[in-house]
Amino acid sequence: MVDATMLPEVTAAGVIIKAILILAVIAGLAGFGTYIERKILAFMQRRLGPMHVGPHGVLQLAADGIKLFTKEDIIPQHANKIIFAIAPIITAATAFIALAAVPVFPDFTIPFIDVYVPSIASDINVGILFVLGMMAAGLYGPLLAGMAQSNKWGIIGSARTAIQFLSYEVVTGLSILAPIMMVGSLSFVDFNNYQADGALWLVVYQPVAFVLFLIAGFAETNRTPFDLLEHEAEIISGYVTEYSGMRWGLFFIGEYANMITIGIIASVVFLGGYNDFWFIPGWIMIIGKIAFSFFFMLWVRASWPHVRPDQLMWLCWKVLMPLAVINILITGLVMMIV
Amino acid sequence: MYEVIAFYVFAISTTILFLITAFSKNVLYAMTALASGMVMISGFFFLLGADFLGVVQLIVYVGAVMALYAFGMMFFDATKDIKEKHQNPTLVFILGGLMALVFVIMFSAPIIGENVQAIHPVIEGVGNAQAVGMVLFTKYLVAFEVAAVMLLVAMIAGIILAGKKMDYSLTTNDDTYDHEDEILKGAGK
Amino acid sequence: MGLEQFKNRNVGTQNYKVLDLEMPPITAMEKFKQVVSRTFKPELFAGLGVTLREMINALFRGKMHTTQYPFEKLPISPRYRAIHEMLRLLESGHYRCIGCGLCEKICISNCISMDTRYDENQRKEVTEYTINFGRCIFCGYCAEVCPELAIVHGGRYETASEQRASFSLFEDMLTPIDKLNLQQEYQGFGAISSNADENIKKTPLAY
Repeated sequence: MVDATMLPEVTAAGVIIKAILILAVIAGLAGFGTYIERKILAFMQRRLGPMHVGPHGVLQLAADGIKLFTKEDIIPQHANKIIFAIAPIITAATAFIALAAVPVFPDFTIPFIDVYVPSIASDINVGILFVLGMMAAGLYGPLLAGMAQSNKWGIIGSARTAIQFLSYEVVTGLSILAPIMMVGSLSFVDFNNYQADGALWLVVYQPVAFVLFLIAGFAETNRTPFDLLEHEAEIISGYVTEYSGMRWGLFFIGEYANMITIGIIASVVFLGGYNDFWFIPGWIMIIGKIAFSFFFMLWVRASWPHVRPDQLMWLCWKVLMPLAVINILITGLVMMIV
Repeated sequence: MYEVIAFYVFAISTTILFLITAFSKNVLYAMTALASGMVMISGFFFLLGADFLGVVQLIVYVGAVMALYAFGMMFFDATKDIKEKHQNPTLVFILGGLMALVFVIMFSAPIIGENVQAIHPVIEGVGNAQAVGMVLFTKYLVAFEVAAVMLLVAMIAGIILAGKKMDYSLTTNDDTYDHEDEILKGAGK
Repeated sequence: MGLEQFKNRNVGTQNYKVLDLEMPPITAMEKFKQVVSRTFKPELFAGLGVTLREMINALFRGKMHTTQYPFEKLPISPRYRAIHEMLRLLESGHYRCIGCGLCEKICISNCISMDTRYDENQRKEVTEYTINFGRCIFCGYCAEVCPELAIVHGGRYETASEQRASFSLFEDMLTPIDKLNLQQEYQGFGAISSNADENIKKTPLAY
């Protein structure tokens, strides 16, 4: 990863293998994430969680999958049928398209057919912006789903999607701008190399940006402090009220894939990326970091209450955005002086 | 080869999507087609190798159309078609036709007159973001700054216009009333 | 948890704590100070700490709360009123019921029906005894009125049934003869209290 000239050429076959790998592994992980989430939330409330399907319930995913596939797929009578049908696909598809520009696994060469599989499916040099843009486009899924289903809870859910999007998107962009200024690039590989060879992690230089990015990331993935779109106690299920079966499942695969993506961005941009750490090899480090950030999201969900929509807007526009701007100003000043 | 196929795919889908935007009577269809058309346009930038502009197109228009959706949600019932009133169809036809003609002339004039030549050719070894930055902060610096000031003025004006009665509670008609106070006072009794 | 705690009905004297809430900030400076102090106070992290502590408690210190119900059951109070049991005399093994018919008489939902006759020793013998559990409301009057402590409420609370009217015969509720040594003297509803001797008073002659 350090010297680009040493790497074998990236072929179309390698990229296709990579794409299939990402789809298979992340879709599986996203499904497995539901099991992990239920298990961890249960432990934090001193419950056991799913226990009966397989040892300690690990095959719960299979049971849920069978249930979702065989469930009747209902489209409400007055719903806008086309939009209703494509909305879940938008969420799932954008989540996986975003993963195209993210380094997911280390690169390797398949031994016998001699095909080099790269670490990033498509190494465009504006990776971070592309991922954030794609994840932002993913919010069209909830928005369209809520508006198409002619259900008042759905339309409240999609209204909340719109305000959530308009609130956090500014903070995400501004918070990640400061590390971008320090590294001077938008490519994930450059971020990784900036923190290579024993250099300090960027979170040491940019603690404020890290916290802001985490908060915005929670809003981006609709996780608990900001799970306004589908909060059961207030709006039944928000945008997924009328969904059932596999369409409903697609929303959740998308949501969990987004959680993994946010984990990868946080790890690569702020937490040292896939560099070796002392004696621990890089691939274990990156998996550990992603796993921890996934666990952190579940941990927060178990611990904290969620906020009202007006509180989210207040927080994003009146607190986080000024903080992010001040952070950028200070970063710029320090970079100019030093 | 791939690029040609991709170009035609993007071109056809963009055209179809914008046609839907113009002709659909359903708000939801129109706006969804608009948003996806914008995403398709960003595909052209990626094809041309202008990754940065492509991503900016994506982010900016995703956000902008999202705001449009918010308005659509407030004003229309998304599941029903809208009945449009045509008061003067002849005028609309003439104006629309004239505008289309002007656009065709505008865009085809340089091609007919002279092949387009780049004044600032692509600099080798410089990324997209740097190239955009160089142009923006040298040749178009004044325009950039003026636009920035204009946006700032517009933002302040918007806040002032929208925030005139921000601390006026509609539920109690009391200026000094604050819901948080009520909760705290109620609990403190 | 003993039964005494359930019997404490003195609502007003329990230990409620009144929180000392400050007045909300009024000036801009005070509001700013409040925001700053709330931001940097580790309150949010205290919340995270609580859940993590509970997770460690559950996983490593054996404080998991879940009872996997059909496989394991919690002990229930001896006063719990579930499916009836018919007890036997501990010495002879004969059933205790003397066929007095009080339970049938007092049953407010009319679910007990019994038939008796005199046997060869001129003792009352129960020939038929059923309880309709579709009607029984488990009020416990039968156990309370029984002079011999023969019908009591047991601990079998899983009463789901395929029919609305599910009867139970005398033999079903009677303690099996080979499990007589496991039969315990009933302490629950209708039993004589431990301080019954102190409460006995002579009947006044005026009655």
